[in-house]
Amino acid sequence: MSYVAIKGGKAAIDGAAAAAEFLRGDDDSGEPLKLSAIEYQLRLLTSRVVSEGGVYHPRLAALAIKQFQGDTLEAAFALRAYRSTKPRLLATPVQDSANMRCIRRISAAFKDIPGGQMIGPCYDYALRLLRLDLANENPEAFQAVARTFLAALPEADLPDSFPKVLDALRSEGLLPPVAESLGEPFDITREPLVFPVPRSAALATMARAETGSLLAMAYSNMRGYGDVHPTVAELRVGYIPVMAPHPVTGEPMEAGEVLVTECEVVAMYESGKTGSLPTFTLGYGACFGHNEVKAVSMAILDRSLQKGMRDGPGNPSEDPEFVLLHVDGVDSMGFASHYKMPHYVTFQSDMDRLRTTQGKARVADQAPHMEVKA
Amino acid sequence: MIDIPRKEWAAALSALPAKEVKAAAESFASSCGVRDVTLPQSGLGLFTLRDGAFHEAFHLGEVPVARAHVVLRTPDGHESSGGAVIIDDRATIARAIAVIDGALAGRLPGWETAAALVERGYSARAGKLAERKHILASTRVDFSLLGQADEEDGDE
Repeated sequence: MSYVAIKGGKAAIDGAAAAAEFLRGDDDSGEPLKLSAIEYQLRLLTSRVVSEGGVYHPRLAALAIKQFQGDTLEAAFALRAYRSTKPRLLATPVQDSANMRCIRRISAAFKDIPGGQMIGPCYDYALRLLRLDLANENPEAFQAVARTFLAALPEADLPDSFPKVLDALRSEGLLPPVAESLGEPFDITREPLVFPVPRSAALATMARAETGSLLAMAYSNMRGYGDVHPTVAELRVGYIPVMAPHPVTGEPMEAGEVLVTECEVVAMYESGKTGSLPTFTLGYGACFGHNEVKAVSMAILDRSLQKGMRDGPGNPSEDPEFVLLHVDGVDSMGFASHYKMPHYVTFQSDMDRLRTTQGKARVADQAPHMEVKA
Repeated sequence: MIDIPRKEWAAALSALPAKEVKAAAESFASSCGVRDVTLPQSGLGLFTLRDGAFHEAFHLGEVPVARAHVVLRTPDGHESSGGAVIIDDRATIARAIAVIDGALAGRLPGWETAAALVERGYSARAGKLAERKHILASTRVDFSLLGQADEEDGDE
């Protein structure tokens, strides 16, 4: 692959940036977007960027969305670039999502789950009809939304966290045992993926994968190129308190909290190891922010990759190399985008070869044909 | 007295406007000597989560982290250590929280102001937690009411 220098490039590049800024500002309202508006009013967009960028920094994700005018791939790229400039100060102790302060918690497996089902903020049961009243929403009505919602509710007597649905299934002996200690989890930001990779590498890779890519791979499994047939045992969205050692006492202290979406699926049962009873198989998905399609897709792929790692892949979604090397948004966007860059030398070479080949073909066509006598 | 455990002081203070926290820390710094045990830093922390299926640890991603560790020394020579680790990218806030943490832990002169600040932050944080519980309470659903007569109606 070759590239050539372009004369006058700097002026054009500066002009391109100015033109993009012009289009951003070509807005009758004259009001620049506030980061808080992006962070809260476009919270699901922000969620995509924090998870695909791999850094839980909603405010910077909002900034990146503003800067790249809504392009989630570029915004995630900018967040990754930001993270590459920062030192790593610590790795948290292993956090437990059972401590999640839920805002949503559902199960498709059981009608009754300990603690109850709360569908939380979602559009699962909403009509997909445009709300035309939002087109000209007045600030007073907008500000009244939160006040009205909170005022209408009685004091909620609920626990801070809820038990996991899988724990109940496991206590009945319907699930495989939990993993024994497997050592340090794989750090995809420091180590390249060299296959075979441990499951921790697969989970980390999928946790910061591009939502659409994960969905496409998982959808292939759902549609027939696979046999996971998942049931969502539990899907929860909420804030996990981040515990870290206190610099003075060394005791765990709450450093803050992180919004996470988590999904656990139960799939077709399989025979256990020799002498043990069959149990359901499991898949797990989680990501920063509120992104349910991503968590469900990841859980399906976790399950399909477990099978592929154990028995060899029977379809694309069971192939760790195929899945894990093609779901990263920054990688794939970069490869696709590089085709827009000048490839003049490469293409000139292609044209030269084609002309030569065509020339040879013409010569061959014009040559007298040999007659073969019987 | 303060009933809130030390492990929650930083989270409580983080719920308050940064300006207030910094002002309180500066007030302690003006009456005590503050020495950094380690330089206040901001950067990233690797967020490690236990997967809910097999309880394997993996890295979900990174979080911004700021941390500080200080020692406060009163004019009469009394010393107290303070520290903070917060999910934030501002080292100055971490240092301010560390100063308040040290003042409160050591009951240094004026600690009552720090205690009041922590309590106010704790209350603000409790308000946010209550809002989330309101979200849950208002969306509680009882699927067991479905399909009593025609079981699994609508289920796949």
